[in-house]
Amino acid sequence: MKKYLLVMLSFCVLSFSWAQGRTVTGKVTDAESGETIPGANIVEKGTSNGTITDFDGNYSISVGDGATLVVSFVGYQAQEVSVGAMGVVDVQLALDVQSLAEVVVVGYGTQDKKEITSAVVSIDEESFNVGNINNPAELLQGKVPGLSVYNKGGDPNSSGTIRLRGISTVGSNTEPLVVIDGVIGASLDNVDPNDIESVNVLKDGSAAAIYGSRGSSGVILVTTKRGKRNAGVSATYNGFVAAATMLNTLPTLSAQEYIAAGGNDLGSETDWLGAVTQTGISNVHNIAVSGGSGSTTYRLATNFRDVNGILNNSGFDQVNARANISHFAMNDKLKIDFNMSMTNRESNFSFTEALRYATLYNPTAPVTFDNGEYFQAILFDNFNPVAIVEQNQNVGKRKNLNFNVQGEYSILDELSVTVNYGQQYTNNFNGQFYPSTSFFRGLNRGGLASRYMDDSRFELVETYATYNNTFGDINLTVSGGYSFQESFFESLNVSLGNLPTNDLGFYGIDLSGDRVLGIASNVGIDANASPEERIIAFFGRVNMTFDDAIFFNASVRREGSTKLGADNRWGIFPAVSAGVDLNNYLGVDALSQLKLRVGYGVTGSLPALSGQAQDAYTYDFAGGGTVNFARAGNPDLKWEEKAEINVGVDFGLMGGRLTGAVDVYQRTISDFILNRQVDPGVYGASLRYENVGELQTVGAELSLGFDAVQNSDFTWNTGVVLSTYETTLNAFTNDVFTLANLGAPGQNGTNMIRVAVGEEIGQIWGPRFEGVAENGAPTFADLNGDGNVVADPGAALADDADFEVLGNGLPSLELGWTNRINYKNFDFNAFFRGAFGHSLVNTWRAFYEPIDGGAINSYNRVVSDKAVDGLTAAQYSSLYVEKADFLRLDNVTLGYTFDVSDIAAFKNVRLYANVQNAFVITGYSGLDPDPSLQDFGPTGNGGFASGSPDVLSPGIDRRNAYFTARTFTFGINLGF
Amino acid sequence: MKLLNRLFVLVFLLGVGFACTDLEEELTADFSEGFTPQNPGFGESANTNMALPADGLNAAYNALGIGTANHFGYFSAAGLPSDEITIAQKGGDWFDGGVLINLHVHDFRSTNPILNNTWAGLYGGIFQCNDVLASGLNAQQTAEVRAVRAVLYWKLMDMWGNIKLLTTPGADVPQGTRAEAFAFIESEALAAIPDLPVARTYGRFNQSVAYALLARLYLNAPVYLDGTTTNPTTGNSFYQDAIDAADAVINSGLYDLDANFYEGADGRMISAVYAPDNVNNIEHIYAFPYDEATGGGMNFAQMTLHYPSQLTYDLQQQPWNGYASLEEFYNSYAAGDKRKEAYFITGPQKDINGNPILDVAFDQNDPDGAEINYTPAINELFPNSSRQAGARMGKFAFKAGQLPDMDNDYPIFRYGELLLVKAEALCRLNGDWANAEAWGLVNQVRARAGLAAEASPSESTFFAERGREVFQEALRRTDLIRFGKWGDAWWEKAAHSDTYKNLMPIPNDQINASGGTLSQNPGY
Repeated sequence: MKKYLLVMLSFCVLSFSWAQGRTVTGKVTDAESGETIPGANIVEKGTSNGTITDFDGNYSISVGDGATLVVSFVGYQAQEVSVGAMGVVDVQLALDVQSLAEVVVVGYGTQDKKEITSAVVSIDEESFNVGNINNPAELLQGKVPGLSVYNKGGDPNSSGTIRLRGISTVGSNTEPLVVIDGVIGASLDNVDPNDIESVNVLKDGSAAAIYGSRGSSGVILVTTKRGKRNAGVSATYNGFVAAATMLNTLPTLSAQEYIAAGGNDLGSETDWLGAVTQTGISNVHNIAVSGGSGSTTYRLATNFRDVNGILNNSGFDQVNARANISHFAMNDKLKIDFNMSMTNRESNFSFTEALRYATLYNPTAPVTFDNGEYFQAILFDNFNPVAIVEQNQNVGKRKNLNFNVQGEYSILDELSVTVNYGQQYTNNFNGQFYPSTSFFRGLNRGGLASRYMDDSRFELVETYATYNNTFGDINLTVSGGYSFQESFFESLNVSLGNLPTNDLGFYGIDLSGDRVLGIASNVGIDANASPEERIIAFFGRVNMTFDDAIFFNASVRREGSTKLGADNRWGIFPAVSAGVDLNNYLGVDALSQLKLRVGYGVTGSLPALSGQAQDAYTYDFAGGGTVNFARAGNPDLKWEEKAEINVGVDFGLMGGRLTGAVDVYQRTISDFILNRQVDPGVYGASLRYENVGELQTVGAELSLGFDAVQNSDFTWNTGVVLSTYETTLNAFTNDVFTLANLGAPGQNGTNMIRVAVGEEIGQIWGPRFEGVAENGAPTFADLNGDGNVVADPGAALADDADFEVLGNGLPSLELGWTNRINYKNFDFNAFFRGAFGHSLVNTWRAFYEPIDGGAINSYNRVVSDKAVDGLTAAQYSSLYVEKADFLRLDNVTLGYTFDVSDIAAFKNVRLYANVQNAFVITGYSGLDPDPSLQDFGPTGNGGFASGSPDVLSPGIDRRNAYFTARTFTFGINLGF
Repeated sequence: MKLLNRLFVLVFLLGVGFACTDLEEELTADFSEGFTPQNPGFGESANTNMALPADGLNAAYNALGIGTANHFGYFSAAGLPSDEITIAQKGGDWFDGGVLINLHVHDFRSTNPILNNTWAGLYGGIFQCNDVLASGLNAQQTAEVRAVRAVLYWKLMDMWGNIKLLTTPGADVPQGTRAEAFAFIESEALAAIPDLPVARTYGRFNQSVAYALLARLYLNAPVYLDGTTTNPTTGNSFYQDAIDAADAVINSGLYDLDANFYEGADGRMISAVYAPDNVNNIEHIYAFPYDEATGGGMNFAQMTLHYPSQLTYDLQQQPWNGYASLEEFYNSYAAGDKRKEAYFITGPQKDINGNPILDVAFDQNDPDGAEINYTPAINELFPNSSRQAGARMGKFAFKAGQLPDMDNDYPIFRYGELLLVKAEALCRLNGDWANAEAWGLVNQVRARAGLAAEASPSESTFFAERGREVFQEALRRTDLIRFGKWGDAWWEKAAHSDTYKNLMPIPNDQINASGGTLSQNPGY
């Protein structure tokens, strides 16, 4: 009944017919089963006159003389019937096997899954991670072999790191290129996880080469949900409430232990971590209405997110709206898609420093004095964490707007032309405020206020044509097109102190006395505008299928960028791949598929920043007015080039119950871009962007899926993905160098990572701890046996240094293990995730575990089970490098779907409960054993984090981490 | 239908035709080449009522301030390996990879980041000089910038010996010897003199600056030239040339000793020569015009004071508790020496209202207790020096409400020091460390400090007097080498006889960056 009503509704709302000549009636049925087909599309050929069938498959249409009806329905082959003199025309539609085959979105088009000859993984909604997920990347964490997604800590305002097949570049963009509904370079920030239908990951060079100079880090193609033709109107609601709690803290001394260890007793007992953390309660609601007539489909969705993290005040409120509308016209020859989405997020970033200082603050100190003022002391790199969170403000607003319109017109049955135009805008507007009473950043400068705003604009015009035809056993698809992309970024940052009042917060920034005093270092005004960046490309591709079993793909992209030196702007990125379904010829019954694939492709990577090919001068009024040489441009700068060969096998056994894929690859990144040290006397700067070296990664990936149990009311699917890779520096201008400074207090000049030509990337490097000397200093092993121990990190690269590899920051094996069980109306999902073989430098221990009489009074002591008695001097060594292998129950869900067949109001009702980070098995003593893929360097003592991440320095667990959360979610899915 | 087809083909072709293949990049917020500011008058610094000329030369002059009075640059590289200052490891604080201790105990490493930072700063300045020289200057301006560059090359040559003498932006040259660098610096200074003005201009070089550079160069010439004492250019003894150059300054009548010592806001003695308002002090031959507002780069307050001393001076930023003087060096000042109180901060510390300052994190083993008290004795260099140990560097006095960047100008060539250069050259020329004319000059300096004439003139009393006078002026390393005391033992630094250590190792990063055109100094 309900179904009937809906079909009728859509019929009334969206169908239209014109009375012309005479009326034809009939019934549309499935050719095989004889079942009626409601909602089938009937169009009078060559006109816009059409209708759809009712619930019983009947239709009625007025047509002109000599009319031909085109009858179509999703999943069936369209049929044309000449009406002639007939008054009743019954039509039997045959299933379209081709269109039911799994279609995979690839660059500039789609392909049947079986025709794919490169390393492409498609993940649909059913396989996504669930729970309190606010970023699309987290949907994929652990699901795609070779795709590493890590968001260390549970900061709701941080989006984590995405890395495909290891380090693909050093000095340019390390994150994959994101393409949303055909818009290249779109931002994942403006797509709500609820609105994503599927995500395809183009992993190897042959798949990504069609995206040319930005494909080196892989390509993630996001397809958002759309309405379906003839599907009537339906609405869904998905909502959940989540509670985040701290998974883990660092072991420190209690007040009593602290006093016993020589700490000064300040008379109180404070649970500092308790005072700055909360149970972070989040609410998320998604409402979507979708539908489709025969000619128009739409889906409108709104997402509300009120997310709160475990750190007091941290979280965001977000509204996202998306409208996807498609219209089919001119007998389906023309299809027009409109996609729009906007996001408005208001964040409170709070201060992760509060977690650091809550761990380290004197546990006998009071939060406030009796008079209500905060207890604050002048210490190096230690501040009252409650005061930090409560006195100061760190907030921001972000607005994203995306729009694209795409028209696809079939000139001939075999030839179509597509034009896509898109825009993307992002604004940020942030504010920070530190009152004059805040020892953290505000003291002795009359308070500090800052405002930051930026605006980025991106425009895309792409047009391409696709020709598809079959010649005997050969099916041929040829596409070619043009792409124009332009982007512009500008920002303004103002920070001023000396505020006359603390009452106005950062809105009082214009009252700053620094404007009058003119202290240059206190008047922070930074206006930035990156040169307009353009990328222009011409591309073409050929797909050929022989015998429906042998597949061949080739593509080429010629692309140019403004970011490069004048003579090196244009590059050519070719790719070729081939595959054969061997079982088509072997005919082994046990095998449902055995496809061998080989692909080779060249992609590129552009410098992260514009303007690096040109010198730059700035002006400084200070010092009598100075024209300063500010940047040494490199007029020879060119794109990085990655050549990748990928060999894979897709197989199916036991009638398709067991499926899997194995991929092995080798990628060579040559001319990689790095801001490298140059002779300052010659170039006028110590660093310059150059194409300076070669990296090579070899890796292997396996994915297996098994339908272990398939009964009518009990099913169990399980799947495993495994990946491993190793990256080697093949060539560089320096034979060996070190990176990743440990930092203050007392451990500057202490680089923990070694990079050497001919060796693996990610080496954690240092002296081997041996014991404790009488004076409390550590002693180290004489590794080279010369009788002289040289273990000062400042001498790490000396010929006589006693240093060794203490671990590797990159995992040697990453695992994802999915289990999906359905029993009657229950569904249960357990996803385990692990990484093995990597180490982390536990910098918390390196600074605060060995502690002397002075330091114990500045910092609480971190005491892991690895602490060494009597050690009083903090000095980096193997003692602080820990294996961080782990296996965690990352995501577990229990759901129940109610039987609503008797309730007209609902189509579908499901309740579920979910736990993220249920447990972690690891020997690592720090907060979170997840690999740290890149390093932002040390920050402390109220300083601001700066700079871009260093991808050559994995494995450093810094002290500014947001603490990892365990999250409990209770949710509901409703369909109307 | 055909029409539509054509329309689409047209749209498609338009897309291609737009075909904007223009990839020219235009900078939006920077200039790609040097430019002339439309109103350079606005650029004048309000340097405590003294303006710097807006003559376009500041990019070159500013190079003289890089690393000169802050941590991790030239000041640290020249000072920390000497017996006048050190940074002791305080448990978890100030180990920093051992790079500070390594410098003090003469375990010089090519990977030491302080050496690298010093080299890069000086060569960055040389590039700026070359860039300014290439921009088209008049004769006087050219002479000024060449002389500035000669001073930068002197620092490089003094520290590393075998350096590159770059004179054109963007053009590399082979590494030269120390003798070549010496000859270049000498000829550049001599060539500059005729075009330099005689009169003093604030923040600018005149002839006296070039002469002072020559005097310093000649005095050290036997060190730089493997014991050669005769100047091949003039045929004179280098010491005579040093005396002549010094006399050119002394006889100009432009400079004098400033005997003004007065009590500062913190109750401490301040010498006017180094005070926050020491602009254009009569004793400065050339002082870098640091300015809290417009000429940052002097950070002594942060470098030396203990964290809670922030309250003594109401400092805007918390200090770092790093640099302190060695006890023996501090004790070498006699009780009545005005410099002892003016150059060092010792004893109990009070906040700006005169109350004792407490270190809430005081070490319970520290005999001084919670109240901050800077004791000249430092218990050990590492690993657990007391946090309050060591007399602090106070020659460049702090002012209340001190910003991280100090206001004091920093003399690179100073009349009082030049008197001692001439005195030493006289002693060395005559082979007589009791030379009366020389000690007449030394005793002028002593008298200014409130001391009687030296009772027992000798090489060692001269050396000690010079050390006391030029403390915190980054000259001690050069002096220790010239007096053959570089390898001596002091405090926790052991004696060595490694003469190769008279040169620092060329930074590893620079050898790598040079693409093989720099090779390491012998011995390293």
